[in-house]
Amino acid sequence: MRTLVFIPAWNEEDALPGVIADVRKAIPGADLLVVDDGSADATAERARESGALVASLPFNQGLGAALQTGYLYALRNGYDVCAHLDADGQHPAEEVARLLAEVTADRADLVIGSRYHAGAVAGSDDYRPTFSRRIGTSVFRFFLTLATRQRFTDTTSGMRAANRRVMALFSQHYSPDFAEIESLQLAVRQGLRVEELPVRMLERAGGSSFLTPLRSAFFIFKGLVVLLVGQFRPRHVETE
Amino acid sequence: MLPLAAEAGQVHLTSQTRIVAAVLALFFMLMILELIRRDRLQERYSVIWFVAGLGMLAGAAFPGLLEVVANLMGVRNTNVALFSIVLLLLLGLALNFSVIMSRQAAQITRLAQERAIEKALAEKRAAEGANGNGVSGEERLEAEKQSFES
Repeated sequence: MRTLVFIPAWNEEDALPGVIADVRKAIPGADLLVVDDGSADATAERARESGALVASLPFNQGLGAALQTGYLYALRNGYDVCAHLDADGQHPAEEVARLLAEVTADRADLVIGSRYHAGAVAGSDDYRPTFSRRIGTSVFRFFLTLATRQRFTDTTSGMRAANRRVMALFSQHYSPDFAEIESLQLAVRQGLRVEELPVRMLERAGGSSFLTPLRSAFFIFKGLVVLLVGQFRPRHVETE
Repeated sequence: MLPLAAEAGQVHLTSQTRIVAAVLALFFMLMILELIRRDRLQERYSVIWFVAGLGMLAGAAFPGLLEVVANLMGVRNTNVALFSIVLLLLLGLALNFSVIMSRQAAQITRLAQERAIEKALAEKRAAEGANGNGVSGEERLEAEKQSFES
């Protein structure tokens, strides 16, 4: 099993080296790719110093485009499974390893690390979401569950593991601005096995959340439009 | 410029306004031609503007045309008909541009991704070459062939 772990990073020079070291330690067999989404700071240099391979987008394209770069790289270079985690240090690599194990064992095509899943809440009080994030999370949770008829608790989680079927789908279709939610809807609609796994998450080590209240409201509105439109997309697109 | 010369409900174009309108329409089409000639506008995006220019010219040459169209639309006031048609056309054009823009945004993104991946792979090959433990040339060619096929 060839495994790729990729990290989309935008201006995360402070937190990134720690995340890379963490991944190397927890998932020693995996190749590591940092997708630098047009960072203005030394993100790419820090990543290279830490020994990671860096794919630098020439200008900031948004999280969706960065993630798609990772999936495209994994697909093109013959990886069997891949996983990605946030660059800000919120995602412990040992949890990513657990997601990868699920995909490797072929229990699911796409596994999402959920910080809200019943199993996660009991074991951890490391992670405290802000108020606006909590509202957004419950709105999306409700509508995505409605749209896919499958229970999702952490719709915006950026910690995921996937196999080649998912790579093939996401490298072709991935919404540039509404990456997390639309991709889940798409995967379920294409008949892929999507599964949530409770994980432990930490407070961010560096960088700041982009979610101000006004932005959150706009984010939620946009998300609902995207979900609604997604319901009218064709099912079972030919993926490979 | 056409409605200015029109009384409410009817179009009374003096020959002067008709000439002005025709000259403007011709000038407009010449401008499109000039933009194409100087590579500032691509032919495929110019067709719609020539159609618009021809429409202006037709309106100037046959003022009765507008009244026919207004009657077809069931609109008593030809000015309202004219404005409605122009507004709808502009709306359609704006939407058309949004579609073109979306397509180009997707193309730019893919281009950026391809370049990022190519550069990363080149860096990886260089590092492997420097360490002396890289894969052989043949293996590398084979891997590249596979990556192009998938």
